[in-house]
Amino acid sequence: MAMAALRREGGRFAPLIYPRPITAFRSSPLPPILENEGPVGVRYISTQVVRNRMKSVKNIQKITKAMKMVAASKLRAIQTKAENSRGLWQPFTALLGDLPSADVKKNVVVTISSDKGLCGGINSTSVKISKGLHKLNSGPEKETKYVILGEKAKAQLIRDSKKDIELIITELQKNPLNYTQVSVLADEILKNVEFDALRIVFNKFHSVVSFVPTVSTVLSPEVVEKEAESGGKLGDLDSYEVEGGETKGEILQNLAEFQFSCVMFNAVLENACSEQGARMSAMDSSSRNAGDMLDRLTLTYNRTRQASITTELIEIISGASALEG
Amino acid sequence: MGLAGVDMVIVPATTGQMGVLPGHVATIAELKPGVLSVHEGNETTKYFVSSGFVFIHANSFADIIAVEAVPLDQIDANLVQKGLVEFTQKLSSATTDLEKAEAQIGIDVHSALNSALTG
Repeated sequence: MAMAALRREGGRFAPLIYPRPITAFRSSPLPPILENEGPVGVRYISTQVVRNRMKSVKNIQKITKAMKMVAASKLRAIQTKAENSRGLWQPFTALLGDLPSADVKKNVVVTISSDKGLCGGINSTSVKISKGLHKLNSGPEKETKYVILGEKAKAQLIRDSKKDIELIITELQKNPLNYTQVSVLADEILKNVEFDALRIVFNKFHSVVSFVPTVSTVLSPEVVEKEAESGGKLGDLDSYEVEGGETKGEILQNLAEFQFSCVMFNAVLENACSEQGARMSAMDSSSRNAGDMLDRLTLTYNRTRQASITTELIEIISGASALEG
Repeated sequence: MGLAGVDMVIVPATTGQMGVLPGHVATIAELKPGVLSVHEGNETTKYFVSSGFVFIHANSFADIIAVEAVPLDQIDANLVQKGLVEFTQKLSSATTDLEKAEAQIGIDVHSALNSALTG
C-alpha cells in the first residue's frame, strides 16, 4: 500500500522504500526516511542511494544540455540553406498553383521524417497526417501508396501499412544535404512509382519553437492538363505559349519532374530544420526537468543526513545520561 | 533567389537565345546550358546556367529557375578545356546508348561553357 501511494506521487523512491504499514503516509507529500535494519537490530540510515541517484540525474542534465547546444549549432547551419531554398518552388506555385484538393486515382504520399529520435513529436505528427491522407484518398478505384524517407516514419508505418509502402529511404543526412543528392532521390522515386499526384508531407520550419506539418502537392502532367481544362487557377496555363521542345506534353513532363525535385529539396531541408529545432526544445525541457528533480533529491538528501545526525546525537546523549543517572 | 527590376534578360532557351523585355507574352520555356545575361541600365551581369526553366508571366514578371547558376568570372578556363577533351573521349569510347547520351550532355555543357568564356 505504501508502494502504491509512492507510485502515485511519481514513484521516484519506490524501489528504495521497504513496505511499511503506515496509514498516515498517504497524505504526506514527503518521502519517509530510509531505514535499514542492521544485524543486531541497530538502525542506521543510508544516504548512499540518494547520492547515487543525484549523480546520475546530474549526468543526464549535462548530457541533455550538450545535446541542446549541438542541435542549436546544426540548426544555424541548415537554416540559411532552407530559407534560400524556398525561392526554388515559389515560381512553380505561382504558375501551377498548389492543389491539395485534386481528385486523382493514384496518390503517392511521400513522408519525410528524421532518422534519429529524441526530437519531440514531429515524426508522429507527420505520420498521423500521412495516415489521414491515405484514409481521405481511399475508395473505389483510388489507391494510395507510401514512399518513406527516414527511420522514424518507417518504424511507425511498417506496423499497419506494410503492403502500401513502395519505397523506403534512410540515412539521408549522413552527408550534408545538397540538391544533387535530392535530385537523384527524386529521380528514383519518379522512376519506380506510378503516380497521378504526389503529396509530400513534411514539417515546415516557421521558427525555433513552431513547426507546422505541411502537405505539398505535385501533379503529374496529365492531371495538370485535366485541371487546366476544367478551369480554375490552372485554367490560365493554356494562355502561356510553350517555347521550344517537341511537344507541349514533353515540356510539361520535364516541368513536373523539375518541380518535384525542387519541392523535395525544400521539404527535406525544412524537415531537417524542424528536427533540430524540436530536438533543442525537447532537450531543453529535459534538462529543466532534471534540474527540478535534482533540487528535490537534494532536499531529501539533506533531510536524511540531518535526521541521521540527530539520531546519533540522541543515542549518545541518552546513553551518557543513562550512565550518569 | 532574388527579386529585381531590370530592363532586359537574355535567356538560353532550347530554341536559342531569347530576349525578354517588359510586356513579353506569357511563356514557359526550357533552358539549355548557356549564358544568362541581365541588363540593367548600362550594366550587364552574366551567369552561366546549367539548365532549368523560365516562366514569363503576363504581368511582366519572369521567374528563372536554374539547377545551377554561376557568375562567369568564377569559371576556370583550363578546367573547361580539360572537361571538353575528357567528354569527347568518353563519347568515342561509349558503347551503350546511356553512356553516349551522358557523354553528349557533357560535351554540350562544356562547349557552351567554352563559348560563354570566349564569346
